[in-house]
Amino acid sequence: MMRLVGRRLVQAVPLLLVVSLLLFTVLHLVPGGPLSAYLENPNVRPEDIARLRVSMGLDRPLPVQYLSWLAAFVQGDWGYSYADGRPVMDRLVERVPASLELIGAAVVAALLAAVPAGVYAAVKPRVDRITGIAAVAGISLPVFWFALLLQLGFAGLLGWLPSSGRSGFGDRGLADRLSHLVLPATVLAAALASAWSRYLRRAMRETMGAPFIGAARARGVSERGLLWHHALFNALPVFTTVVLLDVSMLASGAVVTESIFAWPGVGSLFVDSLARRDYAVLMAFLMCGSVAVVTLTLVADALVLWLDPRTREAA
Amino acid sequence: MNPYNRRVGVALVVALVVTLLSACGKGGDTAGGNVGGNPGRGASNELLIVGYDREPDTMNRYATHILEDIESCIVEGLVVADEHMGVVPLLASAVPTVENGGVVLRADGGMDVTWKLRPGVRWHDGVAHTSADVKFTVDAINKGDWKPESVDGFDRIASVDTPDSLTAVVHYREVYAPYRWQFVRGTLPRHKLAGRDLNTANDYNRAPLGTGPYRLAEWKTGEYILLERAPDYWRGDSLPHIRQILFKFLTNTTTRINQLKSGEVHMVALVPWDKVRELRDVAALRLNQVVGNGYEHVSLNQKRFAPFADVRVRQALSHAVDRELIVNTLLDSLVTIVNGPIQPLSPAYEPNVRRYAHDPAAARALLEAAGWKAGTDGVRVKDGTRLSFTLITQAGFAIRENVAQTLQQAFREVGAEAKVQLVDGTSISALWFNGNFDAMLHWWQQGADPEITLFFAGDRAPPAGRNINFLSDTALTALLYRSDRTVVESERNELLKTAQRRVADLAPEIPLYNTSKIDAIPKEMQGFTGNPTNAGPFWNVHAWRIAP
Repeated sequence: MMRLVGRRLVQAVPLLLVVSLLLFTVLHLVPGGPLSAYLENPNVRPEDIARLRVSMGLDRPLPVQYLSWLAAFVQGDWGYSYADGRPVMDRLVERVPASLELIGAAVVAALLAAVPAGVYAAVKPRVDRITGIAAVAGISLPVFWFALLLQLGFAGLLGWLPSSGRSGFGDRGLADRLSHLVLPATVLAAALASAWSRYLRRAMRETMGAPFIGAARARGVSERGLLWHHALFNALPVFTTVVLLDVSMLASGAVVTESIFAWPGVGSLFVDSLARRDYAVLMAFLMCGSVAVVTLTLVADALVLWLDPRTREAA
Repeated sequence: MNPYNRRVGVALVVALVVTLLSACGKGGDTAGGNVGGNPGRGASNELLIVGYDREPDTMNRYATHILEDIESCIVEGLVVADEHMGVVPLLASAVPTVENGGVVLRADGGMDVTWKLRPGVRWHDGVAHTSADVKFTVDAINKGDWKPESVDGFDRIASVDTPDSLTAVVHYREVYAPYRWQFVRGTLPRHKLAGRDLNTANDYNRAPLGTGPYRLAEWKTGEYILLERAPDYWRGDSLPHIRQILFKFLTNTTTRINQLKSGEVHMVALVPWDKVRELRDVAALRLNQVVGNGYEHVSLNQKRFAPFADVRVRQALSHAVDRELIVNTLLDSLVTIVNGPIQPLSPAYEPNVRRYAHDPAAARALLEAAGWKAGTDGVRVKDGTRLSFTLITQAGFAIRENVAQTLQQAFREVGAEAKVQLVDGTSISALWFNGNFDAMLHWWQQGADPEITLFFAGDRAPPAGRNINFLSDTALTALLYRSDRTVVESERNELLKTAQRRVADLAPEIPLYNTSKIDAIPKEMQGFTGNPTNAGPFWNVHAWRIAP
């Protein structure tokens, strides 16, 4: 296990370097830059733009800008936001709790829905049909559309829930915070649960057909025990990998959901920064996302090793 | 329990605990106010909730690149533009002019402007607002180590004298006609900022000290800014009427409009035109409309697409467009047709200019005369060049996309081909700034001053200015620079009127319609006027009142 972790960490360094170079290049290939936003004001003259370009260091050649960014970044100096002049680290860190809250709630909700749905779908054809239709709908609904639909229904027509934001103003009790969490978490959870339930169903079906299940049944193990004990635990390694990979993707923020629900997490920061071409924030955000994917993939592999003794022998 | 079960159990418990911890981590915030923010509750003099389309980058008025709506509730200018685009003294006791002796032209070609400050104005911390603050502001901007958005005008100031605490004499190196708006963004508090690096003075940049009716109570990043009534406001203790204003950041337009309809927000400034219809029937709202100081038009880049250099081609394309059709159908008559760059609100506006009525026959005749003959595919040709160009416009504006298609059809009917290309907002500004487009459908939102030199002077083409038509006309350029150096308003306006007639004759661009500004406000709100300029509707926020 330690060998695997060590090997992966060594591989990660050149990988992240290449990723950073690619991201930097792609971001700068997109037309516009941090100064584009200033052009909206008619009083801003080209002289002003030229002055700001020099003072922000944007007049230097791109390779120089990349190398100076890289040198500072690895030393923990993430620079200052082009948009508001505050340290990039501050801007990211203040957004993390909101994103964790939303992703955490969505993942718990998705697991609570996906595990029973996946398990029963594997053995009960009627459940399979219903959850199958629901899952296809959940996977194919565009997130922004589903989000707007929920807003319109629960906030607009019924008025039961706030349509956006993380908390009301003034009263910030638990009930208020939960009511704000419901809609965005539902949107995220729906997409996750749909995919996960199908993965689990498939893994369960394969396991239920395995000879050891027949043997257990012959030993007199109850159907319930077979399903929830013998089969589920054998299906878990595959399922865990899928779940963790999905979560690693979400770690870069639930961009669309956060944006529509004005959820103050890292995802909506990313959308704002992209519109502003705030290179400093974008690079830090994307690098954190890359590190999260690398790390959670490693965690997923380690977890599978731990849950499934067979893979340990192979490794 | 077998070992696998135990491991799975442990993993699940750990996952659950981590999730719960992160969910509760921020649960202990202190309440920011004692007013309930229940969705659906109407506006009151206790609380007005504004749905705002973006979060400010900074609250420092000189450094921000976006509208100063929130900032201007806190930090007041020496003057402000009112709902008729007139200049109104705010922290100044009068607007200096040549007539009242406030402006003196010097023999060396420079000028001195004497600002008399309003007595009795105090910063929110109780310190008096004085001419030293005016001088400090100029010095801070001209020192060169700070990054204000624009230094226009300041870079022509040699020095500031402060003969007494309420008098600031600004010495300009040269005559600068827009001097009246020099301090529209207010002053920086010297006692708070002297000796500090303004780029990193985040206590001020995030919560500026002002003299205005409100002060910042809380800025919750990514969520909202809450303003509360400042005590001892100089206009009197009874003002402002509304105790708290909450600006909720709602970037997504649909979300913003939905919240307005559900009553979660009480007001939205600058409602997109295509959302006006669905808000008309909302009982709690009133739509306030003012003519904006901006105009939608098609820029024709003569440098990039050479056929536009022929005035007959430009005039022909102007005649091809049915602006009444566009205004009456696509825009529900929310806007009015305009014929030039200076808007009817401005005292410098010239109505008697050459107009280009919808006349396809005249357009065809002009193109024929210019040597453009009908080609086999309906697109005119001259010397092997097809009259075919790209028309770019910003993506995401439904109305603009429709207007672009209508223009495409209109040009097609007279034998010109426009290929419409939609570009995102940030990319499009990079394109026009460098002059990399053939034709562009867009607007300019202008400041209250009628200066148009930056847009039409021959030496102000990219990258030196906003003359993105690349128009080069010696007579017009001379007129514009003369107007910039003329401080007597009536004389300056005469020069600008002549310039507008010249612009209309040259038809460097196709003006379409003005940019009316529509704000959705609570039905019971009184004192709201809106504002045609970038001063924004909050310019008189002290006078707003909810009176059911």
